[in-house]
Amino acid sequence: MTYIAKPKFHHPGLRKNELGYTHRDYEGKISTLCAGCGHDSITASIIEACYELSIEPHRVAKISGIGCSSKTPDYFLGNSHGFNSVHGRMPSVLTGANLANRDLIYLGVSGDGDSASIGFGQFAHSIRRGVNMTYIVENNGVYGLTKGQFSATADRGSKSKKGVTNTDNAIDLVAIALQLGATFVARSFSGDKTQLVPLIAAAIRHKGASFIDVISPCIAFNNHAGSTKSFDYVREHNDAVNRLDVLVGREPISVDYAPGTVQVVEQHDGTRLALRKLDADYDPHDRLGAQTFLQKHAAKGQIVTGLLYVDPEAEDLHTHLDTVETPLNALDEKALCPGSAVLDKINASLR
Amino acid sequence: MKPTDISAPDYFHKVVDCQWACPAHTPVPEYIRLIAEGRYSDAYMINWKSNVFPGILGRTCDRPCEPACRRGRVEDNPVAICRLKRVAADFKDDISQRLPRPAAKNGKRIALVGGGPASLAVARDLAPLGYHCTVFDGDPKAGGMMRSQIPKFRLPDSVIDEETGYILGLGVEFKGGQRIDSLKQLLAENYDAIFVGSGAPRGRELDIPGRTFKHVAGKLIGVTFQKVKAEYDAKGRRNLVPSGEPDETVPCDDVLVAVGQENAFPWIEADCGIEFDKWHMPKVDPKTFVSTNPKVFFGGDAAFGPKNIIWAVAHGHDAALSIHKMISGEDINERPLPEVHVSSQKMGIHEWSYDNDISADKRFKVPHRDKVIALKDIRAEVELGYDVKLALGEAQRCLNCDVQTVFSAPLCIECDACVDICPMDCITFTENGEEDDLRQRLKAPSPHHDQALYVSGDLKTGRVMVKDEDVCLHCGLCAERCPTGAWDMQKYLIDMVHAGSTCQSKARSAA
Amino acid sequence: MSVQSPISSVNDFVVRFANVNGSGSASANELFARSILRHGVPVSPRNIFPSNIQGLPTWYEVRVTEDGHLGARGGVDMMVAMNPQTWDKDVASIEPGGYLFYDSTKPMPSSKFRDDITVIGVPLTAITNSTYSDPRQRQLFKNIIYLGALCALLDMDPKLVEQLIGEQYKGKEKLLSSNVHALHLGRDWALQNLKCPLGLRVRKADKVGDRIFIEGNSAAALGAVYGGATVCAWYPITPSSSVAEAFTSHCKKYRHDAETGKAKYAIVQGEDELASIGIVIGASWNGARAFTATSGPGISLMTEFIGLSYFAEIPAVIMNIQRAGPSTGMPTRTQQCDVIACAYASHGDTKHVLLFPEDPAEAFEFAAHAFDLAERLQTTIFLMLDLDIGMNHRLCRPLKWDDARQYDRGKVMTAEMLEEGRDFGRYLDVDGDGIPFRTYPGTHPTKGSYFTRGTSRDRYARYSEEGAVYADNMQRLVRKFETAQDMVPRPLQANAAKPTKYGVIYFGSTSPAMDEAIGILEARGHQLDRLRIRAFPFHSSVASFIADHDFVYVVEQNRDAQLRQLIVNENGIDPVRLVPILHYDGTPITARFIANSIGDHQDHLKVTPLRKAVS
Repeated sequence: MTYIAKPKFHHPGLRKNELGYTHRDYEGKISTLCAGCGHDSITASIIEACYELSIEPHRVAKISGIGCSSKTPDYFLGNSHGFNSVHGRMPSVLTGANLANRDLIYLGVSGDGDSASIGFGQFAHSIRRGVNMTYIVENNGVYGLTKGQFSATADRGSKSKKGVTNTDNAIDLVAIALQLGATFVARSFSGDKTQLVPLIAAAIRHKGASFIDVISPCIAFNNHAGSTKSFDYVREHNDAVNRLDVLVGREPISVDYAPGTVQVVEQHDGTRLALRKLDADYDPHDRLGAQTFLQKHAAKGQIVTGLLYVDPEAEDLHTHLDTVETPLNALDEKALCPGSAVLDKINASLR
Repeated sequence: MKPTDISAPDYFHKVVDCQWACPAHTPVPEYIRLIAEGRYSDAYMINWKSNVFPGILGRTCDRPCEPACRRGRVEDNPVAICRLKRVAADFKDDISQRLPRPAAKNGKRIALVGGGPASLAVARDLAPLGYHCTVFDGDPKAGGMMRSQIPKFRLPDSVIDEETGYILGLGVEFKGGQRIDSLKQLLAENYDAIFVGSGAPRGRELDIPGRTFKHVAGKLIGVTFQKVKAEYDAKGRRNLVPSGEPDETVPCDDVLVAVGQENAFPWIEADCGIEFDKWHMPKVDPKTFVSTNPKVFFGGDAAFGPKNIIWAVAHGHDAALSIHKMISGEDINERPLPEVHVSSQKMGIHEWSYDNDISADKRFKVPHRDKVIALKDIRAEVELGYDVKLALGEAQRCLNCDVQTVFSAPLCIECDACVDICPMDCITFTENGEEDDLRQRLKAPSPHHDQALYVSGDLKTGRVMVKDEDVCLHCGLCAERCPTGAWDMQKYLIDMVHAGSTCQSKARSAA
Repeated sequence: MSVQSPISSVNDFVVRFANVNGSGSASANELFARSILRHGVPVSPRNIFPSNIQGLPTWYEVRVTEDGHLGARGGVDMMVAMNPQTWDKDVASIEPGGYLFYDSTKPMPSSKFRDDITVIGVPLTAITNSTYSDPRQRQLFKNIIYLGALCALLDMDPKLVEQLIGEQYKGKEKLLSSNVHALHLGRDWALQNLKCPLGLRVRKADKVGDRIFIEGNSAAALGAVYGGATVCAWYPITPSSSVAEAFTSHCKKYRHDAETGKAKYAIVQGEDELASIGIVIGASWNGARAFTATSGPGISLMTEFIGLSYFAEIPAVIMNIQRAGPSTGMPTRTQQCDVIACAYASHGDTKHVLLFPEDPAEAFEFAAHAFDLAERLQTTIFLMLDLDIGMNHRLCRPLKWDDARQYDRGKVMTAEMLEEGRDFGRYLDVDGDGIPFRTYPGTHPTKGSYFTRGTSRDRYARYSEEGAVYADNMQRLVRKFETAQDMVPRPLQANAAKPTKYGVIYFGSTSPAMDEAIGILEARGHQLDRLRIRAFPFHSSVASFIADHDFVYVVEQNRDAQLRQLIVNENGIDPVRLVPILHYDGTPITARFIANSIGDHQDHLKVTPLRKAVS
């Protein structure tokens, strides 16, 4: 880590977004994670995505559980409220926060211990409820803060730094998210920002449960030979099905693609996702197909990345609960309290 | 682009913008660190070795270093390098014991015409090597124009006395009140070499067409200026021509003319072997400072027209080296390479042997003497110089550009940690390409083409690391966040070659 | 063979129905209780039910009490024995001289009866089967038929019962008439075949007044509606589930936008109690009023989050409908056994605010107040009900709401205040009450954001492991808890008719039994001052009450005298001065129990003169 404050100076030629902010304005405190941690790259990608989308930083609520990954919300969007909650319980806290104010953007940051072990249940249930959120798992396959125990996403047969072979089957959070009805599912790699940044941006704009599994090598405990979450391994086995561009606003798609290689997906809010196909057969609207594709490739030892599934017509929990447009936290006595006249009637009915 | 050759001494030297811009290549960050540490005498001696007149220059230098200072590209103002130099002079202890001892004479005699900074710099370099140096000047005291032309409220005599004294104390013979009015005569005295550092002593003429003084009843009432504009000829030389706009009259009671000095060599006879060019300037080799007479060297304003003290000093060093080589029977055109030292600054996981916590302070103002006193006494120095606290604050603004970011491609695992942490978006990992193309693809725009791109060899993914040196803060965060030590912060010290330096054999590659 | 004359009592007796769970008896039994209320006679009913959906024994007890004693009395004057499985125990539990009402369709050997009671056999099944052919109808209407028979036997006014049925099936004419028909089938059979009425009779009175008849859980849920709760997250657990269910039905009625029809609330059934409290904390952190309802095991699961709420200072309201523990314990039986668990829930030094309502009316008030307290104090507020209040209809004063009342949203720094340049330190005590300001997420583009965490931090919410910084914060939390003392409902004191050295402290559902016991004790010559504690932290009047008396009985429904422990611990009281009176078999505490326990203790205290003892 670094203990000095990151200098406030920035490159004089930095671009500003629609709000007049540079990407530096989306930073938080300086990271206390180990040097080279993949999580810091994810942090940088979140910063970049929020900057690109011209999000007002204070309109984001960043919520996490406990663990290395869960520390990261302190390191981005310094003008946002953050909540480093309880181990494995980010999804419930986020769900509650989302219910209280549907107008904010909810960014849930979790890790593989947080989401695949202690919080596996909460992960699953927040997905199946369709909470409008961007749920990012910074997946390094290992418990970092407690020094290198396997996590539940560690692949069977992979080796720990101490040389122990993992004999338990791995949980693939992407497969679970697909099965539980997440309406935006992606996998990426902390070492590939070109892929990751647009995925995060698209997930933020998606109205529904967005889930991104980001393989994020742990430099300290899981970047050795025999690990399947190391920089080298992931780079060698990365099978990206598509590349994504997020287009906000009405501007035409100017990127020059070969015909037939681009699929444009329009989301609820008008955001368009331009998907450049890398695997001609992959259809990101086919939930079942995605599951099969994942399983087949996993069996071959490949890590499938990209936008794996998106439902542009997604609904969220507020839609299901049919809640009012005004955030619940903004309703006052007048809106909430039925008053004494109603109470008199209730009393009368109880005699 | 090809991988950057960081072993070329100039590559990192250019990154130290201030030092590169300084004619004497004074290692600025090095002495600023010493000032921050309170080691004023050490800071002074670095300066003394490099620019000979730290106390004088700390007040009067035209400081080419400051416009070059990286800090000025990062925020509003560069580091007050010049005034920090003065701090070293103001707060140093008695340094007389640290000066070279007058050496045993080697029997060689050098005549130095003019007692200004160029001649004194030559004497400073040669006297310790045993040369008998004789300085001639029409004025009774050494210092030349530093003494005669700079107002005392800006540069008090005491400072000039002290710093010229250090040189004369090396056993240099000073012949005050002896203006040389014949080079021929001097040549006849069989000096082993003659250095002409007689400056640009003549005030420029005032009779400039287009400028008229307006008098009414014999009383000056104003100046009328003709408006001109700049035009550039085919060679890119600037000419001022009338713009055609109406003249402008500025009412005034008096006119001060400050249009500079010019050279005058009435004392150099035509048959001395000294050739002059069409501007009546002696033909002087810009590298060796030798004239067309191999025994006669020029330096300072006398060489290439009016410049500043720091240039005079730089000329002096180079001329002294030429004189030394010439007398030693060496080829004066063979200029030895400066010595370069590179050393890692890493102390611990996040500790470096320099202060990498970048100060956000704005440039500190130098305190002035109370106006009432300053206006009453024209000899009272107006600028008081930084006090210790201000000096520390200003010193901490220095970005330590000599502590270089050194990248090792084989160690890099491309984790992006350096990219993510870099506050200035200097680092990009991308596919290689031609420079213009690469500059387009950097994380942040790269408008200053004079600032180098540091390009690595191919990495595992086939990409390269490109670092734009332009606005790097040298904060070392890239190296702190690097898990494999692929980045290191290494201090780059370049020892400029002066007369008598060791390792004078190798030919210098560039510059 | 003893000769026992049948009990004769008007408007003061206990009827107990022994049924099989899932037989549809509950609504008929409740109809019975309500019918008596319509006579102007107070009743106090109690559900005694198993942790089971179908087949296990269940009882419903109605205490008819013109004097208004709403606590359980103990003993049964009439047993309506509809469950062969519990027959023997049921018959045995009847008071001597009492009555046994049973379905005489099946012949029973005489050994199954007692000769000191009056046995009333009605061939319920035979009557039912001759009238109805559908098995489900047979089951349901059999219950109404025995209600009809009781109507005759107890001299109840059938018109009042019909009226109730009419209200219940308003708009469902077919159901209404068939129920009324069944009622008369039973009543007519009894009038024709039995000697009516019995010694136990209901007589019209005017003792109910404007009181209402409501379950504590429903009242608490209504309090949440009135208190402005918008988010409810819960996980089903007896006996708390009906809180969330009642909240749902109240919200459906009163919380939909008139124009859009959209919901001004969000109710989520969590996957467990951890998720439920997590949702509550997330919502409260984000400025909504949120609550969960649970019971002991749920509290155990929530404790990590409760610690977070305490330390990170996030409002939360937890309604704990207590049941008998530990572990799964007796999940359908009542106790006041989570006092310590809630007061000190979670690891580390923690303390929480507890509210102890005595009945549904207070459950309503305290529930609404809990949201003000939670936001004012920025911490978890426990509303401590128990099964006895929560799942039983209680007669209580009508619910009241002052329309001028405004919600106390606590110290919330707004964008305007931040803009004015107010110093915002999330954990900064600006005025000495220990309560800092908070901001809602999304308040201001550049000011007022902070990072909420369960780890130690300084006054400006910056992470810190400095001992002094940590201690400073912990001290402030103590200060805040002291502030809470004067905000929570104060204890209510009632003094004995004559000055006395003895006092009694009690709380929650013990209240009606205690009121009744005081009368009994007075009759036995024991004068006791009473103090009903209504909240923790304890108001200073608790300590002074104890100081003013030689001995103070602390009556509670748990084994370990948890309230007494809390008083001793928090006020540094000599334990000897607090005499525990403990009831913890899972049944509601009774006046008889309290009076006997205190009475016996008081008798021991009396120094009987030697001479008198000898004589």
